[in-house]
Amino acid sequence: MLHLKKSHLLLAGAVIWIFLSRILQGHSTLELPTADNTSITKAVGDAAGSIRGNRTKSAAFIYFFNPIRAFINGFVEIIRTLISVPRGNAIIPLIGWFGVVAIVAFAVFATSRLRTALLVTSLLLACGALGMWQFTMDTFAMTFAAVFLSLAIGIPLGIWAGLSDRVLKILTPFLDLAQILPTLVYLAPLALFFMIGVASATIATMVYSIPIAIRITSHAIRTINPAPVEASVSMGSTRRQSLIKVQIPMAKQMIVLGINQTVMAALSFVVIAALIGAPGLGKPVVDALIIRNVGQGFVAGFAVVFVAILLDRSTSAAAKAREGFIPPTPEQIKRRRNIVTASGLATILAIFLSRTILSLAVWPNSLIFSKQVADIANTATTWTTTNLYIFTVGFKDFISNWVLNPLETLLANSPWYLSLGAFVLLALVISGFRIALLSLGLLSLIVISGLWHEAMITLTQTIVATLLTMIVGILLGIWVGRSSKAERFLRPFLDAGQTLPAFVYLIPMLGLFGPTRFTAIATGIIYAIPVVVKIVGEGIRAVPASIIEAATAAGSTVRQIITKVQLPAAKKSILLAANQGMIFVLAVIVIGGFVGSGGLGYIVILGGSKPELEGKGFVAGVVILLLGVTIDRIAQASARRA
Amino acid sequence: MKFSLGRRSATATLIIAGALILAGCSSSVNNASSSNADCGTWGLAMHAWNGYTASAQVVAEVAKANGCTINQTTLTEGSVTYDAMEAGTVDVIIEDWGGGRWKEWVDRKAIQEVGPNGNIGLIGMYVAPWMVAKYPDILDSANLNKYASLFKTADSGSKGAWYEGPPGYTTIGEKMISANKLNFKAIATGSEAALVDVLTKAEANKTPALAYFYEPHTLFVKIPGLDKARVKFPANDWADAAKASGLTDYPETVLVKLATTKLMDSGSVFATIVQNFSWTNADQNSVAADIEGGMDPSAAAKKWIDANPDKVKAWLG
Repeated sequence: MLHLKKSHLLLAGAVIWIFLSRILQGHSTLELPTADNTSITKAVGDAAGSIRGNRTKSAAFIYFFNPIRAFINGFVEIIRTLISVPRGNAIIPLIGWFGVVAIVAFAVFATSRLRTALLVTSLLLACGALGMWQFTMDTFAMTFAAVFLSLAIGIPLGIWAGLSDRVLKILTPFLDLAQILPTLVYLAPLALFFMIGVASATIATMVYSIPIAIRITSHAIRTINPAPVEASVSMGSTRRQSLIKVQIPMAKQMIVLGINQTVMAALSFVVIAALIGAPGLGKPVVDALIIRNVGQGFVAGFAVVFVAILLDRSTSAAAKAREGFIPPTPEQIKRRRNIVTASGLATILAIFLSRTILSLAVWPNSLIFSKQVADIANTATTWTTTNLYIFTVGFKDFISNWVLNPLETLLANSPWYLSLGAFVLLALVISGFRIALLSLGLLSLIVISGLWHEAMITLTQTIVATLLTMIVGILLGIWVGRSSKAERFLRPFLDAGQTLPAFVYLIPMLGLFGPTRFTAIATGIIYAIPVVVKIVGEGIRAVPASIIEAATAAGSTVRQIITKVQLPAAKKSILLAANQGMIFVLAVIVIGGFVGSGGLGYIVILGGSKPELEGKGFVAGVVILLLGVTIDRIAQASARRA
Repeated sequence: MKFSLGRRSATATLIIAGALILAGCSSSVNNASSSNADCGTWGLAMHAWNGYTASAQVVAEVAKANGCTINQTTLTEGSVTYDAMEAGTVDVIIEDWGGGRWKEWVDRKAIQEVGPNGNIGLIGMYVAPWMVAKYPDILDSANLNKYASLFKTADSGSKGAWYEGPPGYTTIGEKMISANKLNFKAIATGSEAALVDVLTKAEANKTPALAYFYEPHTLFVKIPGLDKARVKFPANDWADAAKASGLTDYPETVLVKLATTKLMDSGSVFATIVQNFSWTNADQNSVAADIEGGMDPSAAAKKWIDANPDKVKAWLG
């Protein structure tokens, strides 16, 4: 009964909203010319300017920010001189490519199996063959530094949060916030304090990867079997002893999994970090985006994918390697030890060779095939854009004219109070009084900031992209949920989609759709689909088999089972997927400022290059956060209520 | 099991430690390195447009030939690069259009203006050249509204699409539209490549387009008649982009070089090269055209250097 009333209420509200929007079109839209500042954005800009001016004078910089910057710069530089950049007057780094390949192969072989070592070696060689050797090494250096520092901070905090409920409670909002906040947003503020360069890039990566280390570590500590811990306490262990001797060793396996996840998070940041001067594979990707060279984008993108698989396999293999069911015999252990020692000696020889033979030190040009790869990619893209023009442009125009433009008219070209009122009422109906009040507060802040119109443009694109994502995602999710064959088939694509930075496929999208809002939307869809498919698929699979059997026995068709049984039962998962999808989409729509999507992302990017708009860029970043939190809270509350 | 694991990791650690010690020893390959260490190691900012790449690459090749180690770092133009200069990541911008937006950094003595680089920049709004023949009066801004409906796209709605320059470039499109009461909507393109694409496709397919563009650029060679397709606006005031009324057209801009105080005070050969570097729009276009034609930037730069020994000699002071 209540359900019916709710949907009627929403429908009536929508009709009134559209009607009012029609008659009040163009009034009080709060549109602000791109080059203009409000008093708030100007004040923020002035504040930023004075912070920058004080870099050499203020105590906070001299005793806090600058030492941190120097420490991180030094740390990364040490790794880089080892494997990537020549030191001083040298023409090769300390260890040439052959030596690095040998070390990586040996390290993986020593900690896991020969098969993984072979896979990792060939991926590394492939990066070299793409002409990306030095960029790859820089990425290694950056990732290693960021992961090392993230774990040094994240694991202790995670253990603490695992032991104390209060600490977990204090940390949780920050962890949530760090995951909602699109990465593009905190680059500029960090650069203000740590300047453009390696340090800012490393810290930005850490902001993204530390929460994951904390979450998984605390989860690991919390989910271990309590019996051994109780036993150790009853036998007179101190808290410290039971932590070090019992809890941490028991949680070790999961903490190693946390390391794997932290590495992947850090790596996914590698591309965008190039915007604030990080060395590595991000550079050729960003370059390719700016000069719109789809081929170069593909070459660098492949290298990113290879590095992602390489790091994923080697870290997860190390975690799994110890799970042998039959303990090895002493002979096996001895033999294995001899093999490892022998290959270790071979590694030393390889390092020595990589320092004496030039072609083993610097990747030889004759072994670079980037041009061929780029040519194939360019040809394919040109073919697609010329021959499938009708489909790509037709679809783009269809969505733009019939979905995007009407929605933008409704949200952005109506008076601000109308749209704001509609959102608050929507929140009230689907998520309850508390969330409605929160939305009112957050949205009012957006109005005060002066960037309401831009926020509505970004929101429009986010909504359209999320809708399209959900259509595709639910269909694929049903398929995956109903057939394990489909699951096995799609899993590699889903995994790849989740580790691949969105920047990489923004370039082919730009090639297909040109500088339009739809380019950002299409990229957002691709980025968000994997997570939606995974959550929906799990939800469908979780529906008890007995219910489906009962429905089949009652004579339901497959279609009826899906629509009447599985989808309603998986409603909660679908709402959760929509929430996650929307946050993922928002992150990409913001990056879309680079390819013509306008809105808040464009203002953030503009703030980075025009000093007079710096404050506006910062404020736009905050507005993105406000918008993200509002969306997240409304969607989560509605999923909880379902 | 446990014991053997410990042993194995210990062996691995030892071997890697040994490898690192080995790496510390001198390498025979490195002994072949160049001798002129006076110049030092310097950072050169790389911006995305092809004219910039041409200028920067020529400067880099001349510097390298004189014993400098040059790190080329790609950055977006504007504040990001000035900040990078203050942080010491890069030392030189070889072509800046910004008209004094670097003042704050100069005041702090982090960077300084090193004079014009010889290139003259001219920004403007261009229509696809085929339109000039078909609609002869389109080049007068007063007539643009008459043709606005031709320029409609899915993204500009009921108005004409006005493809605006990328974020870092000097742009006053919105002001021009409102001051001249034009029925157009500024579309943020995000990159120069997008503008090139818009104009190239429009000319090839004979579709309408109005886009921000600028000289010097090799596109003027590729699309004949583009130089005669610049829309004329009633010129009056222009002091700086932030204060311009918008009635005005973009003025000609003298492009300048910027460098860190650290470099200019160092007495390095590189400082001399940067100080003296100057060439014409035609010079830049010839190198840029080679790069666009698929030649490696460094090869294209060397080709020009070999063909113009006198000019290069003058830069070395």
